[in-house]
Amino acid sequence: MKERTNEQWLIELRGSNPDEALVDLYDLLVRGLRAALDGYGGGVDANVEDFAQEALIKITANLGSFRGESRFTTWAQKIAMNVALTELKRRRWRDVSLQDLFARREAADREAADTQLTPEQLALQNTVLGELRRVVDQELTNRQREAVVAVILEGMPISEVATRMGTNQNALYKLLHDARRKLKRRMEAAGLSPQEVLAAFDEG
Amino acid sequence: MLRHSDLVKLVRVVAETCETEIGCDECFERLDSFAEAELSGVEASTAMPLVGDHLHKCEDCRSKFEALLTALRGT
Repeated sequence: MKERTNEQWLIELRGSNPDEALVDLYDLLVRGLRAALDGYGGGVDANVEDFAQEALIKITANLGSFRGESRFTTWAQKIAMNVALTELKRRRWRDVSLQDLFARREAADREAADTQLTPEQLALQNTVLGELRRVVDQELTNRQREAVVAVILEGMPISEVATRMGTNQNALYKLLHDARRKLKRRMEAAGLSPQEVLAAFDEG
Repeated sequence: MLRHSDLVKLVRVVAETCETEIGCDECFERLDSFAEAELSGVEASTAMPLVGDHLHKCEDCRSKFEALLTALRGT
């Protein structure tokens, strides 16, 4: 591939004959995607060219948003990774609804307490759980509660939860941040230092 | 709703919560610079602590960052 400065990439891609630059960029994206998705499984390799093509469209449509703070090719590869991983996460989780997730939790709710704990740990666990339950049930909004359960407790990707809640990843991260801050303040106000709680369970 | 097994998981993210955190959009905006810093041997999280903090907390963004690093190393 021909070496280009950031400016040369932009001039060529915006020029009247961008074909050579487009081919070079496409080849680079394909190689980058192959490297990044190697071992991903599920026949992903067959999709690499589609991901590169979709990324190329996004890149050329958004050249104005490249701020020149990195190499142009790094910025372009970032967009390709976003395209690929967003789609792969969507496929992996497409059959899981939030309703299913919550229903599964409810069904598993009659779980016995951990019998490996010392009486002191058990007492602390009950105190902390009591306070956390109170805040989660009474002070978080319904949306915050759903997001906490789906993302933090069940490990569903934030992008996938956002789609199901009719919002976007950035907004959902901020909603979760507000919920986490509230939980932290309430724990501290109740005299429960999160670090000390973790240390008591050897998780600090 | 909260189970015993949730406690450590929830308390850990609460413990790591900072008053100021950037969102996924701002993290993505700076991910290319962050990745280049990381590959150049600079401790990127020291140079861009809010991006490093976000990547630590957000699995979605972290997976993109790790894929980008692998892609850059492989091309």
